Amino acid sequence: MYQDFLPIIIFIVLAAVLIGVPLGLQHLLSPRKNKGGDKLISYECGELPEGSAWVKFNIRFYVIALVFLIFDVEIVFLFPWAVVFQDLGLLAFIEAFIFVLILLVGYVYVWAKGDLDWVKMNVRYGKGRYANLQSKGETS
Amino acid sequence: MSNLSSLSFYIPELIIIIAILLVIVLDVIPVCKKYTFPLSLGAILLASVFLWQSYGESHGLFMGMISIDPFSHFFKMIFLLSTFSIILISRYEKQLDSNYSAEYNALLLIVLLGMFLMSSSINLIMIYLSIELVSIPSYILAGMLKNDKESNEASLKYVIFGSFASGLMLFGLSILYGITGSTDIGVVTAALQAIEYPLSIYFPLILILVGFGYKISMVPFHFWTPDVYEGAPTPITAFLSVAPKAAGFAILIRVFYTMFTLEGSVSATLPLTNINWPTLIAVASAVTMTLGNLLAVQQEDVKRLLAYSTISHVGFMLMAFAIISPDAVRAIMLYLFIYLFMNLSAFYMAIFASNKLNAHHINDWDGLSRKNPVLCAFMALTLISLTGLPPTAGFVGKFYIFAELFKHQQFYWLAVVAILNSVVSLYYYFKIIKSMYLVDVEGEVNKIEAHPVVNWSIILFSAQNILFFIYWEPLIGFIEKSINLWSG
Amino acid sequence: MDSLQSYLIIAAILFSMGIYGVITRKNAVAILMGIELILNSANINFIAFNRFGGMENLDGHVFSIFVIVLAAAEAAVALAIVINLFKNIGSVDVDDADLLQG
Repeated sequence: MYQDFLPIIIFIVLAAVLIGVPLGLQHLLSPRKNKGGDKLISYECGELPEGSAWVKFNIRFYVIALVFLIFDVEIVFLFPWAVVFQDLGLLAFIEAFIFVLILLVGYVYVWAKGDLDWVKMNVRYGKGRYANLQSKGETS
Repeated sequence: MSNLSSLSFYIPELIIIIAILLVIVLDVIPVCKKYTFPLSLGAILLASVFLWQSYGESHGLFMGMISIDPFSHFFKMIFLLSTFSIILISRYEKQLDSNYSAEYNALLLIVLLGMFLMSSSINLIMIYLSIELVSIPSYILAGMLKNDKESNEASLKYVIFGSFASGLMLFGLSILYGITGSTDIGVVTAALQAIEYPLSIYFPLILILVGFGYKISMVPFHFWTPDVYEGAPTPITAFLSVAPKAAGFAILIRVFYTMFTLEGSVSATLPLTNINWPTLIAVASAVTMTLGNLLAVQQEDVKRLLAYSTISHVGFMLMAFAIISPDAVRAIMLYLFIYLFMNLSAFYMAIFASNKLNAHHINDWDGLSRKNPVLCAFMALTLISLTGLPPTAGFVGKFYIFAELFKHQQFYWLAVVAILNSVVSLYYYFKIIKSMYLVDVEGEVNKIEAHPVVNWSIILFSAQNILFFIYWEPLIGFIEKSINLWSG
Repeated sequence: MDSLQSYLIIAAILFSMGIYGVITRKNAVAILMGIELILNSANINFIAFNRFGGMENLDGHVFSIFVIVLAAAEAAVALAIVINLFKNIGSVDVDDADLLQG
């Protein structure tokens, strides 16, 4: 049985060799002085880089991923049901239908509150530090 | 019984489920948004009507997942009463954003549904699911004030601590499932008696106790309580201090009472004789009471003080839990019922003080007796009841718990610790009374009126302290009929 | 080698790594990753016990599906709370949320 693991061992050894040997060779063959300093700045076609390399990304990515995750785990429940529901009769079908209906209510809520748009148009600022701003297309 | 025939016994929960869905749908339609508040209140009233109609029956529903019996009926009454009162009073709380009132009510109803399931669950899957159904909306509710840094921090601490405790409990449930071979509590109990190595039973039971202990703020798992109670909006603090704790006690009693008593016996027999369960719980109870009281002495914020006093009350109730008998369960249920009224009226007074006076420290409560004498009198009554002094219902509750210890002639050291702790608690409860009555405020004092709903909530809940001191016999009779857990 | 003990050992190792992650890390999102590890170790336990335990029903597998769904929901709520905290105090370091003390 252990012969099935032989390709994995070969892969591990090959990966270690393929990375270890060039690194070791580079350490042995590189010159000792003139290291560091300006040679370590990231290359931007000759210009000097300014600012941070980290870019802020839009929070809407998180919201869309979150809504996807919730409906994805709903599908996790539907997969076993879909395999066996023929043998379980009408009651199992109605029960799964009610389950999907409950999640549909959540979907309607997310849709109507504008969370599925890329730019949230009906956001209410209300109280807080943005209270004196006015947003376009505001529906109360 | 099968799924379809179980539905006819499941009507109160069905009403709440339909109410949750309707509240979310009505929130989306702008015209109907103002109907969400009366809808949630009406659903709770309707559910309580149907609950009373079906009192006295015992069934196991949904193929052994849930059991509807008088024990769960008693706890469901506590949940319905506290949720109704909290939804009613949250409308008049200034901090909460009224734009999100529909989501707030829906989340409270979801917690109510989870608590219903917690008090009825007899299967390991249902235990875990119902605890999570109560916890996850509570995390959101604790952080409901989106712009307040303290509320954000409270919900962060709550979610990290709560998820961690639930994860540990789940690991314990998985090992319990593995060594006994089933998820039904009755089968688990029968299978546990055949296991020879006590360590393999201790380990999952301790881990499950972590999960339950976090829910009821037992001592090594109480660290979330003061921070969450201080940072969350005050109606949510009031709710969290009463209802999920009662639910935690319900599920704790149901699980461990089933595991540690023989079926149908009335004496305190312990079939799992290789585990020293009473000493473990007695030590936990003593540490909980002592820590709660000692840390409450140095508090200056009213909500934090009430949070630590909650922890010491839980320690008190655990004292009776160390003795497994129906009388002890009766004492715990009586104490929980009285504790509901005491705690809710104390927190509603804190709502009144923070709404009208912006008062958070005890020093801000100075001279409150001249600004509103009626409410201060009732608050003083509540504080005396929380201490456990004689002409109030708190004394009745504490008396029953002490009577359990002396009747079974065990743990006299625990009774001594409890009496000392009651004396210590006198100090910090009377700090508030002193600030209300004995500290003079110079300058003119104008009377402050509370909103009628807040006013009458405080008066009605606080009057129960006297009422149950006089009429505790019918209550005890009702509780004794309720200790009827369905099994098998 | 295909025995119950190896799966239980793997689950125990994951469980301790999860606890180490929750206790040691400062970043709130890293703490949530540790919590996910704990929940998944319990999942492995359930499935291993059901495979080798000789029970007639499939309770362990059903329970682990429920746990997967619940872990996803809990992570979603926890991350939303962390985002809300970040908007107010500007950092996800849990040491920076220190207004409630004592």
